[in-house]
Amino acid sequence: MKGTNIILCGIGGEGLVMLSNVIGEACRLAGKNVISGEMHGLAQRSGSVIVHMRIGEEVLSPLIPPGEADMIVALEAMEALRYLYYLKPGGVVLTNKRLVHPPGETHDLVTKKIDKYVEYDEVVEAIKEAGVELQEVNALSLAKKAGEVRAQNVVMVGALCSALEGVIPRDSIIQAVKGTVPEKAVENNVEAFELGVDAYRD
Amino acid sequence: MSFKDVIDEEEREAYMLCNEAIVRAALEADVQLVSFYPGAPQTEILDNFERASNKYDLRIEVAANEKVALETVAGGAMLGKRSLTSMKSVGTNVASDALYTLAYTGLDGGCLCLIADDPHAHSSQSEQDGRWFGLTAYLPMLEPSTPREAMEMVKKGFELSEEFGTLVLIRTTTRVNHQSGIVPLGPMDRTPFEKVSWKDMKRPYTSVGELARKGKKEMLERMEKIREKMADSSLNRMEYFDGKKLMDEGGSEEEVGVITAGVAHSYTVEALSRLELSAKILKLGVINPMPEELIRKFCEGLDKVVVVEELSPYIEDVVRRLVEDVDVYGKRTGHLSEALEYDIPSVIQGLSEITGVEAPFDYKEHCRKMKKYAEILPQRLPVFCAGCPHRATFWALRRAVGDPDKVFFANDIGCYSMMCLPPIQWSDTLLCMGASMGVAAGVQYAAEEKTIAVIGDSTLFHAGLPGVVNLVHNEDDVTIFVLDNAVTAMTGQQSHPGNPKKAGGREGKKVEIRPVLEGIGVEKIYDISSYEVKDNVDIIKEALAHQGVSAVISHGECALYHFRNYRHAGGELVPYFIDLNKCESVHACVLNFMCPAISVMPEEDGKARIHQDICVGCGVCSKLCPKGAIKSTATMYGGDDKPVLTVEDHEEYQEKKEAEK
Repeated sequence: MKGTNIILCGIGGEGLVMLSNVIGEACRLAGKNVISGEMHGLAQRSGSVIVHMRIGEEVLSPLIPPGEADMIVALEAMEALRYLYYLKPGGVVLTNKRLVHPPGETHDLVTKKIDKYVEYDEVVEAIKEAGVELQEVNALSLAKKAGEVRAQNVVMVGALCSALEGVIPRDSIIQAVKGTVPEKAVENNVEAFELGVDAYRD
Repeated sequence: MSFKDVIDEEEREAYMLCNEAIVRAALEADVQLVSFYPGAPQTEILDNFERASNKYDLRIEVAANEKVALETVAGGAMLGKRSLTSMKSVGTNVASDALYTLAYTGLDGGCLCLIADDPHAHSSQSEQDGRWFGLTAYLPMLEPSTPREAMEMVKKGFELSEEFGTLVLIRTTTRVNHQSGIVPLGPMDRTPFEKVSWKDMKRPYTSVGELARKGKKEMLERMEKIREKMADSSLNRMEYFDGKKLMDEGGSEEEVGVITAGVAHSYTVEALSRLELSAKILKLGVINPMPEELIRKFCEGLDKVVVVEELSPYIEDVVRRLVEDVDVYGKRTGHLSEALEYDIPSVIQGLSEITGVEAPFDYKEHCRKMKKYAEILPQRLPVFCAGCPHRATFWALRRAVGDPDKVFFANDIGCYSMMCLPPIQWSDTLLCMGASMGVAAGVQYAAEEKTIAVIGDSTLFHAGLPGVVNLVHNEDDVTIFVLDNAVTAMTGQQSHPGNPKKAGGREGKKVEIRPVLEGIGVEKIYDISSYEVKDNVDIIKEALAHQGVSAVISHGECALYHFRNYRHAGGELVPYFIDLNKCESVHACVLNFMCPAISVMPEEDGKARIHQDICVGCGVCSKLCPKGAIKSTATMYGGDDKPVLTVEDHEEYQEKKEAEK
């Protein structure tokens, strides 16, 4: 079952499902078959969210088996590490340079069940130790630069677009972004997308 | 990919969530009346119909519960209107009283009921298998594997329903409902909704005693006719996998046969591919009545047949009954599980053990190895949102109770269910919609401790009220907490009878909770405002001290709902901040509060910080701080130190801000 398998993950409220919709729509525009499976069960804001995206003629299952994802795209770094087991050996982790401490971790810290927060560098080190390729994108600063602080997910779409060169044409992704975001925010989102594209190339 | 596609009149392909595709197919099939109670994994069906109802002429209700929803669409079908409801697995239990009798009466109009199961209990209290409803109620049931199949089955379901005059069930699972894929958009030939004369369509829909015995006979005859009609349905299909590719036919008797349905079909084909195993496949789309002749024919000459289906051995036991001289493998032989959802590795493991073909990859070992790297991570459990009124209510309740061991706490279904999760873990029971009331009735007889029963507004209207009536009538000793946040929050803030808006955002009649409780005869009723945590403690203490049935109604709109409306009306969020000169790191804002907007800075000063991009400015944490260190950012710009929660608050703040300039 050849194809391209991508795990998208992050925290509820970050716009992950929108990210997956852009990729899915871009595949349709490019005439590619695509399947995705999303899981946000009880995840209100702040819960862990994962979407499985599968591009290719022969894919059938909405779930990617562990060890078979070509890439993990994370809007938050801890979630990249949490779902690392989906990645194939030598696969690529594309993560937003951002760490969000769950309230439970803060509670544990204050009640002295743990003596410190997990740090971004520790998370990144653990990902590297697993022997995978790591790409970091500072999506918040790029989204701010694009004039739309909520467009961190679109910055990540841009970075993913670079990573997927040859799988989905860039024009299709831009068209999908334009069709997905609110009309008044199109310009800033396209800018956020372009900044993401460049960030991955650099 | 979005609602735009659901109502797009162009005939083309679209990338769609299965729940969107179901709505699209029903609209194309000219559905006229729909009614739902929200619940994962089928809520997006309601959400998309609500939006579609602003464009198309159809009747829609957000029903008080699934039983009312089913009865409503049945009423429409009695007048010949194509109608549809859907419900989560456990919602069918509520609707089943009507469901079983509707099978006896039959229905003249096309009527579909979709049952969305949740293997793995991702967002449900059990892994209930809804396929038994079709079998035991004598109703035809179809099961799709993909969004494309779901569209086909919705359309065929209406035709089947009309041809045989029966309610038709469609069964999905979470991984089907929440699957997206490419689907074809067909023509949208809709007709305007028009009243018809009952006189012209009249026939009795009554079932009791002699009528029920007659209805049963007719129902059995109907099912026989459906069995004949569906025996060669294209919804059931034979396939052949040659070890590399899936094809329509082929294979020999030496090969293994696999019978499967639903999303398990996709796992099966991909598992065979990884094992490079050839197999004959029978993919079932009609799961009641089962195509018995087809199953016999498929198994003819085969030595080994594996049944791959999630949850109970529903298909497997039928296969065992039908075939002889064939070894049937599955759950009864211990190769596949009756628990949890499947995926490609679990099916590979089963097929590998059955056929002796070695798995090419050790998934378990891989997961074990990779998950080791993630051991440094904290859990990320769902928590109450920033500004959630439940957090505030529970803080006050906890303070009023003191020691949690001093009460029996019956919890119920809603966002507030999350109280049972770590680290707070405060709930003694959590069963099903409305159960807190009934459980409390029994507990208060037997427990020495005070019994409290918590229930949300939507859940109260759904299944809680009979329990309240029961408590009052029996003069029980229970304090009820009604968490009135105006919406069915957990599923995405849909309206309910206690909201002034009805389906599609149209004006409706708000059913007030207090007069309902007064009318039932609850002796003491206290209205509190959720955010007023300090004042609420004493009021709650008074309610708890009352012998008999008392109720505390905590009013506070769901923060997601409230602040979305607030922003749409032009309001801007005014967050709070921590005055580091006053903060003494007592962390009252963290302990038992768990706001996602608050963390601490151990590397710097150990003091708390409020994330300005997450805080919505409810101001509750400022009321907990004994040092007065938490203030509104409004104070930085000349505003008062109080929360900005309404458009009026915001206007007042803007005026002060201007004056300060």
